[in-house]
Order: sequence, then C-alpha cells, then structure tokens
Amino acid sequence: MDATAIFFWLLAALAVAGALLVVITPHIVHAAVGLILALSAVAGLFFLAGAEFLGAMQIMIYVGGTVVLLAFGVMLTARLTFVRMRTTADQWVIAVLLAAPLAIILLQSAWAYGHLRSAQVSSETRSMEAEAVSATDLGLALVGVRPQVDGASGLDPRSASNRATMDGYILPFELVSVHLLVVMIGAAYLARRRTE
Amino acid sequence: MILAGILSPITVTHYLVVGIILFVCGIVCLVVKRNIIAMLIGVELILNGANINLVAFSSPQLFASGTAPLLLDGQVFALFVMILAAAEAAVALAIALQFYSRFGTVDVDQGGQLNG
Amino acid sequence: MEAILPQLLLAAWLLPLLSFVVILLAGARMGEGGRGAGYLATLAVGVSCVLSIIALVWWLGHHPLGGHGGHSEVLTGDWYTLAQFESLRFSVGYYVDSLTLGMFVMVTFIAFWIHVYSFGYMHEELHDVHDPFVTGADGRNLVRPGRFHRFYQYLSLFCFSMLGLVVANNLFMVFAFWELVGICSYFLIGFYVERPSATLASNKAFIVNRVGDFGMIIGLATFLFACGTLHYAMPGNASEHHPGLFSIVKDATNQLQDKNNAASSHEGTPTNVGHEKAGGSSGLETANKIERNRALTPVLLTLAGLALFCGCIGKSAQFPLHVWLPDAMEGPTPVSALIHAATMVAAGVYLVARIYPLLTADALLVVALVGTITLFLAATMAVVATDIKRVLAYSTISQLGYMMLGLGVGGWVAGLFHLFTHAFFKALLFLGSGSVIHACGTNEMPAMGGLWRKMPWTAATMLVGCLAISGAGIPLVIGLSGYYSKDAILAQTFLFHRMNPLFGWMFYVALGVAGVTAFYMFRLWFLVFWGKPRDEHVAHHAHESPRTMVAALVVLAVLSVVSGWTVPGTSWGITSLLEQSRVTPATETGTLQSAVALRIPDEHASHEHTIHAWVSGLAFLAALIGFGIAAVFYGIRWLDPEDVRQRFRGVWELLAQRWYIDQIYDAVFVRNALRLAAVAAWIDRNIIDWLADHAALSVRRLSQWDDWIDRIFVDGAVNALAAGIYDMGIRLRRWQAGKIRVYIMWIVIGIVALFIIGTIYLGIGANISRG
Repeated sequence: MDATAIFFWLLAALAVAGALLVVITPHIVHAAVGLILALSAVAGLFFLAGAEFLGAMQIMIYVGGTVVLLAFGVMLTARLTFVRMRTTADQWVIAVLLAAPLAIILLQSAWAYGHLRSAQVSSETRSMEAEAVSATDLGLALVGVRPQVDGASGLDPRSASNRATMDGYILPFELVSVHLLVVMIGAAYLARRRTE
Repeated sequence: MILAGILSPITVTHYLVVGIILFVCGIVCLVVKRNIIAMLIGVELILNGANINLVAFSSPQLFASGTAPLLLDGQVFALFVMILAAAEAAVALAIALQFYSRFGTVDVDQGGQLNG
Repeated sequence: MEAILPQLLLAAWLLPLLSFVVILLAGARMGEGGRGAGYLATLAVGVSCVLSIIALVWWLGHHPLGGHGGHSEVLTGDWYTLAQFESLRFSVGYYVDSLTLGMFVMVTFIAFWIHVYSFGYMHEELHDVHDPFVTGADGRNLVRPGRFHRFYQYLSLFCFSMLGLVVANNLFMVFAFWELVGICSYFLIGFYVERPSATLASNKAFIVNRVGDFGMIIGLATFLFACGTLHYAMPGNASEHHPGLFSIVKDATNQLQDKNNAASSHEGTPTNVGHEKAGGSSGLETANKIERNRALTPVLLTLAGLALFCGCIGKSAQFPLHVWLPDAMEGPTPVSALIHAATMVAAGVYLVARIYPLLTADALLVVALVGTITLFLAATMAVVATDIKRVLAYSTISQLGYMMLGLGVGGWVAGLFHLFTHAFFKALLFLGSGSVIHACGTNEMPAMGGLWRKMPWTAATMLVGCLAISGAGIPLVIGLSGYYSKDAILAQTFLFHRMNPLFGWMFYVALGVAGVTAFYMFRLWFLVFWGKPRDEHVAHHAHESPRTMVAALVVLAVLSVVSGWTVPGTSWGITSLLEQSRVTPATETGTLQSAVALRIPDEHASHEHTIHAWVSGLAFLAALIGFGIAAVFYGIRWLDPEDVRQRFRGVWELLAQRWYIDQIYDAVFVRNALRLAAVAAWIDRNIIDWLADHAALSVRRLSQWDDWIDRIFVDGAVNALAAGIYDMGIRLRRWQAGKIRVYIMWIVIGIVALFIIGTIYLGIGANISRG
C-alpha cells in the first residue's frame, strides 16, 4: 500500500461521508456543508488521478462558485420552517427500495469492468510513469490544437476525414461560452424582483 | 475479497465505485428531499459522480496499460460538465427564488400547479 | 267426447269478454253507482272458475295423475282460422295440457276472490270520490264521479286476456293476448288517472314492456322464418305434413345430435350410434324437413329463444326491465294483487315454460342468470323500502327471479310449482296490505305499528303469508306451500351447481336470498303489526276491513298453507299435476362445450333424498337466520336499525335508490328520448311549417338547422370525445402528480427496468461485461 492508495482511501471516505451527510441530514445548512466536503474530496481525487487542472477547476467553480451560490439560496429562502424539513418514513422506504437496485446494477457493471481490467493487469506489467494529461494539453485542445493527436505521441494516425472532426474543442468551447452568457442573463431575469 | 480490494493497487474500479456512491446519494437526495435547494445539492452530487467516472477513464495512472480510453477527451468533457453544472446551479437557484417568492415556500410538494 | 273440453274452455275464456262488453256498453246504468257491473263481472269470472274446475276434473278423469312426464298428453286444435297461407296459418286455437288447466283454475280462482275483495276495497268508487292525492287549481281536493264499473270492466278484460294467453296454441295468439294483458295493466295502473304519479307509472310500465316485446317480435319473426309456422303443435294428422314448432325443433336438435354422435363414433369411440330416423316418411318430405332444419342452426335457435325470452323479461319484470313493477303499485291494491303479483307477471314465467322445448341449454343458462341477478337485486331493494306495497313489489320481482332460475336450471316443475304457490301467498299478502292501507290511509310502514290489536284477521293471515313466502316448515316433515316450491328450486339449483361448478355461485346467491326474503317479510310484519303504534292518528283510525275483504284473505291464507301439499294416500297435488305435462328443453348440453361445459340436469335427479334433505336444511337455516335478524331489529327491538343505517349510509343509499338503475335509465334513455322528441317537435314546428309557409327563407333556415346539427351532433360527438379524453386524463393525472420527486422516482424505476430488460432480453449487460 503506497501513499497514493492511502490518500485515495482517505479522500474517498471523505467524499462518501459528505454525500451521506447530504442525504441524511434534515438540516439544509448541514447538507451544504456535506456538499462542500464531498466536492473538495472529489477535487482531491482528481489530483490523485492526474487531472490537476480539473481538480483546480473543481475547487474554483464548485467549491468557490456553486456552493456559494447555494449558500446564498439557503440564506435568501431561510425561514425556520424550511431550514429543517424532515423526511417521512414512507419516503425513506421508497427511496431505499429505489436506490438499492440502482446501486446494485451500477456496482455490478463497475465490477464487471474492473474484473476485465485486472485480467489484463496480470498479464502486463504496470507502468507507473505513464504520461498524464497536463493543463497545457487541455488549454491547447480548447483553442483547437491537439498535439497528442496531431503529433506522433504513439497514437495511431487516423484518416484525414476522421481527424478533421477530432481536431480540438474550439466549437464546444465557444458554445459553452455563449451558453454561460445566456445563463447569466436568464438567471438575472428570473431572479429579478417583480415590479407590479 | 473486500480486503483484497483495499490492498490491491488503486484501479479505475475504485474510482467508479466512489462515483456510483455519489450518484446514488444524489438520486436519493432528489427523491426524499422536499426542500428545493436540497434537491439542487442532490443534482450537484449526481454530476460529480459522473465526473469522477470521466476523470477515471481519462487517467493513464489507473490503467495497467499506461494509457487510458479517454485521455484528453474525458477531461474536456468533465470540464464542460462543471461549466454546465455551474450554469445549471445559477438558473436553478433563480427558479428556486421565483418559486419561493410565488409560493412562499421552498417545499416542492406545494408547487402542484403543473399537475394535469 | 274429446270435443267437450275445448267447448268448456272456450266458454270459460269468453265469459269475461262478455262481461267486459256488457259493462262497456251499459256499465254506468247498472244499478246505483254501477254496482251491478261488479256483480256481473264477479259472476262471469266465478262461472269461468267453475267451468275451469270442471274441465280440470274431466281431464284428470281421462288422464290420471301419477304418470311420468316427457311424453305429455296434449289436446290441441283451432277454434277459428283467421288466415291460411299454404302451411302458415294464423288461428285462434287451444293447446290443452295439465299446465293449461292448472293455470286456468288458478287464474280464475284468484281473480274471483279478488273480485269479491274489491267490493269492499273499491266501495268508495260507488259514490263521488274525494281524492286526497290530487289538488286542483283552487287548492281543494279533486272530487270526481266514482268509477266502480270501469274498474270491473278492466278486470274482466284482463281475465279474458290472461286466459287467452294461457290457452293459446300458437305464438301469434300469445303475442296478441300478451299485448292485451299489457294494455289492461296500463289501464289499471293508471286507474287514478288524475294523479300524475299514476299516469307516469302506467306509461312507464307500458313503455318498459314495449322494450321487451320488441325482442319478442324478433323471436316470432325468427321462428316464422326458420320453421314456417308459429303453432306449438299441429292437431291430428296435419302434423305429418305441417309439423308444429316443437316437432321441428326436436327434429333439428336430433339431427344435430346424430351428427355429433356420428362424428364421435368416427373418431374411434363407438358410443351409442344415433338412433335411426323412424322410417315411413317419403323422400320428398325428408328433403323438405332437412331443408327447413338447415336454417335452424343451434345458434339461431338459441338467439330466437332468447329473443322470445326478452318479452318474458319485460312482462315478468326481470333484471334489466324490472323497473316498472315497483311503480306499478300506484294502481289500486286489488289490481296489484291480481295483475302485478299473482297472474300477469307470471305470464312471462308461463311463456318460458310453454316454449321450453324451443330453448337450448345456452338459452336456459341466460334465463337462469337473469333470474339470479333479479332475485338478488330485488331482495336487497326490499330490505330498505318503507312503502308496504313496494316491499311486496320487490319481493314479487325477487320471487319471479326464483321461478326463472328454477326454469333455467332445468327445474320445469319446480319453477311452475313456485308460480302456483307464489300466486296464492302473494295475492294474500297484497290483499292483506290492501286491507292495512284501507285501514290506515297510508302506505308508509314507519307510520304503522301495533295494528294486530286493531285488525287481528289481517294480521293473522299476513303472518301466514309471510311464513309461506319465507318457506317456513318443519324440514322433511311438513311445511307451508312456499317451503315445498322454494326447496324444489333450490334443490334443482344445487344439482346444477354440482354439474356446472362454474355457475355454482347461483346456488349460494339463491340460498342467501332465501334468508333475505325471510328478513324483509318479517321486517314488514313486525313494522306493521307488532309493537306499539307509532302514529296515534293512524292507529286511531285503523279498523278491521269489511267482511268481503276478510273472506278473501282467509280463503287465500288457507290455500297458501295447503297448496304445496299432496293429498295423503294419493299423489294428488300441484307437482304431480305439473309433472304430467313436463317437457324437456331443446338441448340439455351447451353448444359452447369447449368454453363452458354446460349441462342442464335432469329434473328427477333433484328429487333424490340426500340432496333434498341437505338443501332443505340449508334453506330452513337461512330463513331462520333472516327471521332472527328481523326479530332482533324490528320485533324485540334489541338493536336499533337506525344505527346500522347511519353506519352503512352508502350501502343504504345505494339500495334505497334501487341500485341507481332508474337514474341510469333516466340519464341514458329517457332524457335522450325526450331530447329527441323535443328535436322532433322543433323540426315539426319550425321546419315542416316553415317549408310550407316560407319557401323563400329555406336556405337561411337550412343553414341554421345545419348549424344546429353542427352544435348538437358534430360538436356533441367532439365534446363526447373530448370528455372521454378528459376522463382518461383525470385518470392519468395520478401519474402526473406535479410532484417532481415522483417524476424522479419514475425515472429511476425506468432506468432500472431498462437495464434489467437490456440485460435479460438483449444481452447488453453481457456485452458490457465483455468489454
């Protein structure tokens, strides 16, 4: 068991604990705290998996942005009656009945996938020095350049037509930008105080 | 078997399991919570569960072969998911505030006007 | 010698007609207030009764009782032929067997006593009548001349029609008298023509009967088409060339059975080979016969029989068309007793028995089902009714249901036996209730109570009637008339239950309703005669009825007790009389054998001692329980029925509203018919007149009309469709609850379901695990 594994288990436990806290607590502020915990732990997991840029973004956008937004929502709608909303027993029964089969089938697929992989692991040697995706690659991809595909990084050269569609993410990037703009306007419109 | 799973090197399966737990927690959250903001929190959990999957499949360290099925694509998609989640949170909170100002409550069960 | 019987019956049949004609012409001038009309009519029906009894005795002298049925001896012929078209003959004729004679005696006997009773009951009609139920425009009650002679005039016409129906030897004649009986019923229900409720009730009775008669006409046409005759059987030698309905149907079913037998023996199971057709008929004749029978397939036979049965449903007030009978109680009580309890409503049962050889097993099953539904519904309605005559009306419907059930399950004698005994005790009960109403001036049982002190004769005879209808008796030893007849029906139903387990529930329903019958009859008796007077005013005025009424009550009470008995040492009794003319249905096994293995049991099997003892004990137990409950609630008043009524308000309301059947008919048929009539009137007034007067405006009006059609019919159709979809939406809105969380729940369920389906049926899960 190396340091990576220890950190993984720590962070995974934190993430799961946060998620469970969100589900179990009737208190909305506690749920928000649980969410922060879970999101931060997930950011850590991203670092562990070699996605440093994503981890950073997770902290900035989620922990820094979304959760603050949620906290504002909580505060704006906070009345004593709404802060605690207890779930009735029958709801819990329904939820458990619903969640259990879903969890079972999802875990079953994950196990099936891992089983396949471990069979391959036993035949191959594990190379820890695999090249991770860096933030530079990500940024270049978003402006339309993909050195990993374009250059000779060991991947199979593809046909010209195929490559044209795979060249970078500039179009989605722009779409997302416009989308964010629209969302900003829409949110501002929706949240405005109605003047009679 | 569980002990073996703990002691074995971290693989993509471990990540998948964490993602699944977050996902299911999010679903349960959506079903049992009556507070609209708690439901938004559940949505965030679901999106994060999915994101963990994307990241895991794009991470070469987790694969014995030294390369991952998704690589860059997975991370870019995860990034998009985050962006859209942020956008969704903004709009949904705006809707939640409207809901609150119209019905005077954040209990979604009270908003039954859309029923047939 | 044989010729005397038709002459006797002809005289017995036509005497009431003579009385009718005389009263019609000279009624108002016959004595003071038309009293002479009453004497004449009573005399006529009395002589009829005597002649019928003579005919019966003569018949029994030539055909002694004790023989077994199946080859019943019949005397048939035509009195007068109206028209003859080749083999098709329309005639007025007689078909005499022991059933005919029994019915003759029963009808004339009860009619005679009701004529006598009416002298007392209708005496008000001798003078000017002060009708408290009709208020004129000036706020005073209506005063009108008495109609004593009119009443007896209709009674005479009714007797004539009923006897014609009984004696008829062909369905055409049956239909004619069927309608005559209907019109008599119409006149007598609407006797108090100034009362709107009476007019409405008479219209209702007539129109509802019309519905059933329409089916009957279809049945007549079918038999006319398929068999070429409407006679039951042709007299004498003519039967060789132009057989009657019974022999045609018998041939057809025999052929079918031959074919079945041939088929089964062909398959390698050499059962008894179908009996060869008796030789002697020429080749041409056989060809004719086969040609004729080809049209008469089993399905057609079943349908034609059921179409005839529609008429019986109407006349005997069976389930879908039972609604008229309770309302028919608007008529004078003797009329209710004679027509709507003892005789006319039994005409439907009589006709079913008469056409029994034309009915297939499938048709009989329908008869039994209709009877079962009727007896159950009517009995439940009787439980909550408060009008004394309505309780008896529901009880009549229920008992008619028993008769139909008895006939339907193969108990020809059992059903008819109940017809006879029921005629006696129901006439008694109605006359008793008439006596009570006469004394109290109200129909409402809650206003009565404690009357036995005031009118002991009525109370005693009514008690006999209640015991008889409940089937009281000492099991296996002796009992009142209802004990024998009801047990016979139940035993036959039990046998049917054993042979056709699928329809076993009919037995349990009939058995349960036997208990309900005891309950509601004793509820009536306790409410009216027992306890303390609930209304001082009513109790103060109550008095025993005049001697003519009491005499009729006593005679009928005696008959209610003894009519089920067999004369000791001999086999003389109504059952053996009926047994003599017993017939079997056209087929005894269902044609739909693969779907429903239907088999009509043989009647003699139900006489088996073990079955009879078993069923008799059960029926007695049920009646005892019903009596016990009635006593607890209404007799010793240990429990308050009001509590139960409050607790089960929904059920009570359902029963009090007669299962909402009237409301349904009103909404579905009456309203629409009225709307259509309004439309027709509108068209008449505005279209027809206008066409004549304002031809120039035709185009404009036509467009209005079109617009109207558009609105009512086209829009109506669209609206109906929309309403249907709206209803569906209302039902579907449970799924569109507007609850986000429910939606999410369904999404998750959908995911899981898709995954499971994908794994199991499409192998997607396997592909995933394979990578």
